[in-house]
Amino acid sequence: MPPIPDILNKVVLFQDLHAESLAALAPLLIVKKFTAGTVIFREMDDSDALYIVEQGSVVVSKHVSGDVDMVLTRFAPGDFFGEMGLFDDAPRSATANVETDSLLWQLDRGVFHDIFSHHPEMAAKICYRLVTIFIERLRVTNEQTRDAIRWGLEATGYASGSQSLFGRKST
Amino acid sequence: MAEPAKLQLLTRKPGEAGFQIHEIESSQAYFGYRPQRVPNEAWEMTAQPRSPDGRRNFIVKNLRRDRYLLIDGQEAFLWELFDGSHSLEEIARTFHHRFGAFDFAIIRKLLAKLYQAGLLVERENLALQQTLARSQAKFWAMGLTNAAKCWRRLSFTVPHADRFCGTLYRYGGFLLFNPVTFGLTVIITLLAGAAALHLSPQAKQFTQALAAKPWLSTGAMLASLLAVAMMHVTVHALACKAYGRRVREIGFFLLQGVLPTFYADVTDIFMSTRRARVIVDLAGPLVELFCGSLAFLAAYQASPGVGQALLFGVGVLLWEGALINLYPFNFLELDGYNIVADLLAMPTLRQQALVLAPQLHRRLLHPSALTKSEWIQIAYLLLCSVSVLIYLIAHLDFLRGLLPSWK
Repeated sequence: MPPIPDILNKVVLFQDLHAESLAALAPLLIVKKFTAGTVIFREMDDSDALYIVEQGSVVVSKHVSGDVDMVLTRFAPGDFFGEMGLFDDAPRSATANVETDSLLWQLDRGVFHDIFSHHPEMAAKICYRLVTIFIERLRVTNEQTRDAIRWGLEATGYASGSQSLFGRKST
Repeated sequence: MAEPAKLQLLTRKPGEAGFQIHEIESSQAYFGYRPQRVPNEAWEMTAQPRSPDGRRNFIVKNLRRDRYLLIDGQEAFLWELFDGSHSLEEIARTFHHRFGAFDFAIIRKLLAKLYQAGLLVERENLALQQTLARSQAKFWAMGLTNAAKCWRRLSFTVPHADRFCGTLYRYGGFLLFNPVTFGLTVIITLLAGAAALHLSPQAKQFTQALAAKPWLSTGAMLASLLAVAMMHVTVHALACKAYGRRVREIGFFLLQGVLPTFYADVTDIFMSTRRARVIVDLAGPLVELFCGSLAFLAAYQASPGVGQALLFGVGVLLWEGALINLYPFNFLELDGYNIVADLLAMPTLRQQALVLAPQLHRRLLHPSALTKSEWIQIAYLLLCSVSVLIYLIAHLDFLRGLLPSWK
């Protein structure tokens, strides 16, 4: 059995896989190095791979206006991102920026589809874990939406006050 | 208090590799926020007469949403600066130069009022914010809200009130607003006063006659009160039309949440003169005075019996109604109160007085620190309290007269 990279044992996505499955998976991943400040993929790029962070950190942001992006989240070693690219052809929904020099593992969509064909049990375990992570991220997104609204309300001074409108009802 | 909300922004400089991340607190952004009022064609502002303190209030009307806002001189100054080009930081500095002091609470309060009146450029997330606020409500607050909703169900409004009143005014309503009609009302009232004096020695017999037929007397009195109350608000509305202003609503509601009554929303008269407002206020009670006078004159002509007693009773009831309506010191915002508030140029006198009431004992320890307006509020509170007490005592006596078993 070929050696299993340490990082694969730490990734939540693969935590249900046995050693044999991990050993089979390892050769299918591509290692990539990125320097700080570079962009891994941009919003609206073609979407075709998932990335696992072994070293460094990645900031995912969404374009707001002009040169300004809003930071959505950060990924540290053991985290993964870009998972939507495994399932659909839609362009990237956000930009992944390398914050500090990083070492990433790339899982291409084609390879993922091969796993489905040849190792359906392994694919099912990965998908189950993906769904639970999707749910967790959805909850975080809801919180972010609420925080963004609160930010807007505080920044613009809006407050739901008591009745302050003026009127005269002659009786 | 919760920490200010934060946003992380990622920016890139053109031509440079890499990026910067900035954390912006909502409070920081607040200083940079540039409030923008709705376009000029969407609002109208009218200066109100000066109050005893020499202060001037303004009414801002949202022409698109038909909402009105009462703002003071300092707020009017801020309103002028809310043109979308000045940040709150700049506005605060300008305000400080002008008035010598500044408190951000003034801006916060004004912004909240303007959002509510729809006078600032719309925020898309308003509806969502309200939904969130609702979901966080406590059970007792929800209970109170539900109770208030039940009360509100009693309320109704007449559709197309302005069109209805405009038509009514054109087809005869205008006749009510001329010196001849007023002179006629005065003559009839004087004659009715003489008739009432002539009949007053028989008041005890009238009371006994009415007490002998309680259903008939109660029904007749309620019916006449109802009919006259409807005429009363219609005449308010017609007076508003006489000055070319809009009648926003006519309907039925609970005045100050307790007193079921008909109403005409004549807020638009604030875009006219003080004289116009006083005339609109006076027009309503004159209906009770006129109808009550007719009842007294009819009672004078009627032969003795239940009919005469009923007419006399209706006359007393309507004149009393006119008096209550015109009497300003009863804690209710009736016509007399509106007239006094207008003459004093303190359109929120009652609300201000009620805010002052809980701190009165503390404030009276330093009377020299009280402003002229606050003395007026204290006088209002005092007169209201005494008047309500006298009214209750007088009516306990009246009830005793109606129910012989109390003697």
